[in-house]
Amino acid sequence: MAWLSDFWSTYNTLVYSIGVHAMLALSIQITLSCGLLSLANAAFMGIGAYVSALLTLTLGWPFPAVLAAGTLAPALLALLIGAPVLRLSGVYLAMATLAFGEVVRVIVLNLEITGGPEGLNGIPPSTEGWHIALFLALTVYGLVRLARSRVGRAFEAIKEDEVAARLMGMDVDGHKLFAFTLGALIAGLAGALNAHYTFFISPREYGFESAVDILTMAVLGGTSGLLGPILGASLLTVLPEVLRFLQDWRMAVNGAILILVVLFLPTGLWDPHRVRAWLRRKRREEKA
Amino acid sequence: MTPMKPLLKSLAIATVILAAAPAGAANLRIGIAEALSGGAAQYGTPIRNGMQLAAEEINAKGGVNGNQLQLVIEDEQGKKEEAINVFKKLIFQDKVLMIFGPTLSNSMFAAGPVANASKVVAFGTSNTANGITDIGPWIFRNSVMESDVLPVTVASAVKHYGIKKVAVIYGNDDAFTKSGYDVFKAVLAEQKIPVTTTETYVKGDVDFKAQLTKIKGGEPDAIVCSCLAEEAANIILQARSLGLRAPFIGGNGFNSPKLFDISKLAGDGTFVGSPWSNANPAPVNQNFVAAYKKKFGAEPNQFAAQGYDAMYTAATALKSIKITDDLAADRQALRDALPKVTLNGATGPFKFRPAAPKAGKPGGFDADQKPFIYIIKGGKFTLYTGK
Amino acid sequence: MFAQQLANALTLGSVYALFALGFTLVFGVLAVINLSHGAVFMVGSYAALVLVTRFQAPLWLALIGAMLVSGGIGLLVDVLILKPLRARNAPHLIPMIATIGVAIMLTSAGQGLFGAEIHRFPEETLPAGELVIAGIHLRALEIGIVAVAFALMALLFVVLRRTQLGRALRAIAESPKAAYLLGINVEGLFHLTSFVAAALGGVAGVLIGLDFNAITPQMGQPILHKGIAVIILGGMGDIRGALIGGLFLGFAEVMSKAYLSSQMGDAVAFGLLFLILLVRPSGLFGRVLERKA
Repeated sequence: MAWLSDFWSTYNTLVYSIGVHAMLALSIQITLSCGLLSLANAAFMGIGAYVSALLTLTLGWPFPAVLAAGTLAPALLALLIGAPVLRLSGVYLAMATLAFGEVVRVIVLNLEITGGPEGLNGIPPSTEGWHIALFLALTVYGLVRLARSRVGRAFEAIKEDEVAARLMGMDVDGHKLFAFTLGALIAGLAGALNAHYTFFISPREYGFESAVDILTMAVLGGTSGLLGPILGASLLTVLPEVLRFLQDWRMAVNGAILILVVLFLPTGLWDPHRVRAWLRRKRREEKA
Repeated sequence: MTPMKPLLKSLAIATVILAAAPAGAANLRIGIAEALSGGAAQYGTPIRNGMQLAAEEINAKGGVNGNQLQLVIEDEQGKKEEAINVFKKLIFQDKVLMIFGPTLSNSMFAAGPVANASKVVAFGTSNTANGITDIGPWIFRNSVMESDVLPVTVASAVKHYGIKKVAVIYGNDDAFTKSGYDVFKAVLAEQKIPVTTTETYVKGDVDFKAQLTKIKGGEPDAIVCSCLAEEAANIILQARSLGLRAPFIGGNGFNSPKLFDISKLAGDGTFVGSPWSNANPAPVNQNFVAAYKKKFGAEPNQFAAQGYDAMYTAATALKSIKITDDLAADRQALRDALPKVTLNGATGPFKFRPAAPKAGKPGGFDADQKPFIYIIKGGKFTLYTGK
Repeated sequence: MFAQQLANALTLGSVYALFALGFTLVFGVLAVINLSHGAVFMVGSYAALVLVTRFQAPLWLALIGAMLVSGGIGLLVDVLILKPLRARNAPHLIPMIATIGVAIMLTSAGQGLFGAEIHRFPEETLPAGELVIAGIHLRALEIGIVAVAFALMALLFVVLRRTQLGRALRAIAESPKAAYLLGINVEGLFHLTSFVAAALGGVAGVLIGLDFNAITPQMGQPILHKGIAVIILGGMGDIRGALIGGLFLGFAEVMSKAYLSSQMGDAVAFGLLFLILLVRPSGLFGRVLERKA
C-alpha cells in the first residue's frame, strides 16, 4: 500500500495534467467539428488562468466563484471578437486567432497587475483530483449530448459544406459563434483549474507553443470523435514522463514517435471508420 | 504465517543482505532537477556538470563520513509542470535526501511549494527572483540576488567614469531580465542618476539598432543593460557600429566567459558584477576551472561554479549530521544543518542568510556573499580594484 | 536619426524576408505550414559554424555547405514523411503536425551534438568593415544580408515567372491534380521545392547567425513566429509577399520602437496583423489563394 501511496503522490500532478489537457483538446475539437481551425484556445486558457488566479490572490474569492469567473471571462471575450474573426476561414482564421493570442500574451506581459513576465506565484492549490474528473466528465457528457442534438448535426453540415448549409437556411454564423464560445468556455475552465494546482502562472505558458500543442493533441488523437482528443492528450502528456529513462535522447524520441504516429495513423489514434472497418474484417474472418 | 518455500526464503535473505550491505557505507541520494533540454538547458547543463564534478571529487576522497554521494538527475525542461513532476518523483519514488534545482525561478515558484510541503530541502543555484525564499523554510539558494550585486556594480561604474546620466535597455518578456531591470531602476533612482530613455526588446529580436539609435540621441554617459548572454554581445556590437561609444553596465547576463571574445574591443570598459569569474585567482577556483575544463572540454561559467559550490555546501552539512534509517528525520536534520554551513568555494566565501518572514510565515535562506566587480579590458574580465 | 532608422528598418526587414522566403515557398507549392523551418534555419547556422571553425572553410564555402546540409534535410523530410502523407491523402493539418515532430528531433539533435550553450563565430571570420554615408552607419554584414535577400528574391521571382520550371510550379500551386494530368512531374517538383526551401532556410541561418552571432539549438523558434507574421502580411505562399511582408514588418517594428514606445512594439505589430487579417484576409498585397488540400 505504501508503494501505491508513493505512486499516487508522485504522479497525481501528471494525472491532473492529463485531465486538463484532455479538456483543452476537447475545446479545440468543438471548433474543429464546426469546420473552424481556431488557435485561440491557449489564449482563452490563459485568460481563465489569470482571471481566476487574480481573484483568488487579490480579492480572496471562494474557489467555486473563481472557477466560474475564469470560465465565463474568456467566453465573453470570444463572443465579442467572434463576429469579426469568424468571417475568416481555413488557414486565415488560424493565423488571425494566432495573432489574437499573441496580442493577449503581450498585453499580459506588459500589465502591472499580472506580474509581467515574472507571472503570479503563491496561488493556493485549491484544485483537487475530483474537481478535474467531474468537470472532464461533465464536458464529455455535454459534448456527447451536443453531438446528437440538432446543433451537433448543424455543426457537421457546416463542416462538410458551408455554402450548402447556408443555402438550406441554416444560421451558419450563429452556430460558428456558439462553437467558438463553447471552446473558449472549456479552455477557460481548464486554465482556471490548472492555475490552482501548479502554484504559478506566467505569460509564456499560453503562447504560440501551447496553441500548437493543444492542436497537436486533438489532431494526433483524431478529430472525428470525442475519444480521439482525450487519447491524444493522454499520450502527449504521459510520453515525456515514460521516456525519462532515455535521458538526453528523451525529446528526440518524443519527436520521432510523434512523426511515426502521424505517418502510420494519419487520421489519428482513434478513427471510428478505421475501428469499424477493422471490426468488420474481424467478423468476416470469424465467419470464414 | 505460512512457511516460506526454501527458494523464496533464500531470496528474501539475499535481499536483506543486499539491502544491509550499504548500511556500513550508505549511499546518500541527492536529487538534481535541472533544465537539461529546451531553452533553459544552457543554464541547466553547466549546473548539472558542476554538481557532478563536485560529487565525483567528494566521492573520490572517500565520500561524506564514508558514505558515497549518489546523484539522481532528472530533466525539468524549464517548464513548471515538468518541474513539479520531477520534484514529486525525486521525493516520493527516489526518496532523495534533498533536491538541487530547478533551474528557472519560474519553475521554483511552481515546484518549491511541493518540496516545502513534503519537508524536503529544495536548493536553487540559479534562482535570482525576489520572493523565492518566501515559499517556506525548506527553500535555500546560493545564487546571489541581483539586488545584492547591481548597487555595487552601478556605484563602481559611476565613480570610475563620473557618470551623470544613463540610458537603459532590457528584455521585457523574460522574467530574469525584467527583474534585473526592476533592480537597476531602483538602484538608479536611489543613486539619483537620471535616465535619458528606457528601451526594451523581446526574445527573438535580432536587431536592436532602432532602440540603440534612440539611445544614441540622448547622449548618455553609460548604457545600463539587463540582457541575456544571447543578446548582450550583439547589443554591444550594434551600438558600436552605430557610433555609440558609451560604456556598458551589465547585469548577470553579461557573465558569459566567451561573451567578449567576439566583441573584443567593442566591449572594453564594460562593468559587470558577478558572484564568480574565472579570473578569480583563489586556488580553489583555479582548481575548479582546470578540473571542469578537463572533464567537460568546455569553459565553466557562473552557473557551473554555483552548482559546484552548492554540492560542497550540501556535503558539508551532511558531514555534520548522523544518517539514520528514518528518511524524514534525515531530511529534517539536513535542513537544520544547512544554514550553519560556511564555505570557501569557487565563488569565494559563502554563507546563508535567513530570509525575512513574510506575513508571519518563516522564510527560507538566501545567499550572503559579496559580488566581484569586473571591468572588461582587452576582451578579458579584469578584477576592478578602484581607480 | 530618421535616416538611420530607415536604414535599420531595411536591414531588419531583409532579415525577416530572407527567413520567410523558404517558408512561403513550401506553403505555396506543397500547401504545408512547415513548422520545422526554424529548426532547419538553426541547422544551417551550425553547419556553417562547423565548416568555419573545424575545417577553416572560407565564408562562401561555408554558405554553400550549409545550403547543402539544410537542403538535404528538407529533401529527406519530404521523401520520408511528407510524400507518404500525400500518398495517404492525410487531412491537411497532419503534415504540419509531422513537421513539429521534425522540429523537436532536429532541436534535440542540435543539443545532443553541440550542447545547449551559446556558440559564436570567431571574430576573425566575420566580414569586417562598415559604411558610413551621411551619418548612416551600415556594417558590411548588413549590406550583405540586404543584397542576398534581394538577389535571392529576384532569382526566385524570375524562375517562377519566366521559366518552364516556374510555370510548372505555379500550375502545382493552383492544383496538383491538374498539374499531374498535364504531365508535370509533381512529386519531383515537390522534392525540388522542399530542397530549395530548406536550402534558403539554411542561407538565412548562416547570414542571420553571423549577424546575431549567438547560435543555440533553440534559435529557430522566435524567428519562426516572425516568419509566420511575415507570410500573413505578404500573403501566404506569395514570393513577392515574403519580401514586401518582411519589409513591412521590419518597418512597422522599427518605427513603433523609434517613435512610440518599445514596450508595446510587439502588441502593436500583432494587433496590426490581427486587424489586417480581418480586413484583408489574403494579406496586404496577396491574392486569395483558395485550394482544397
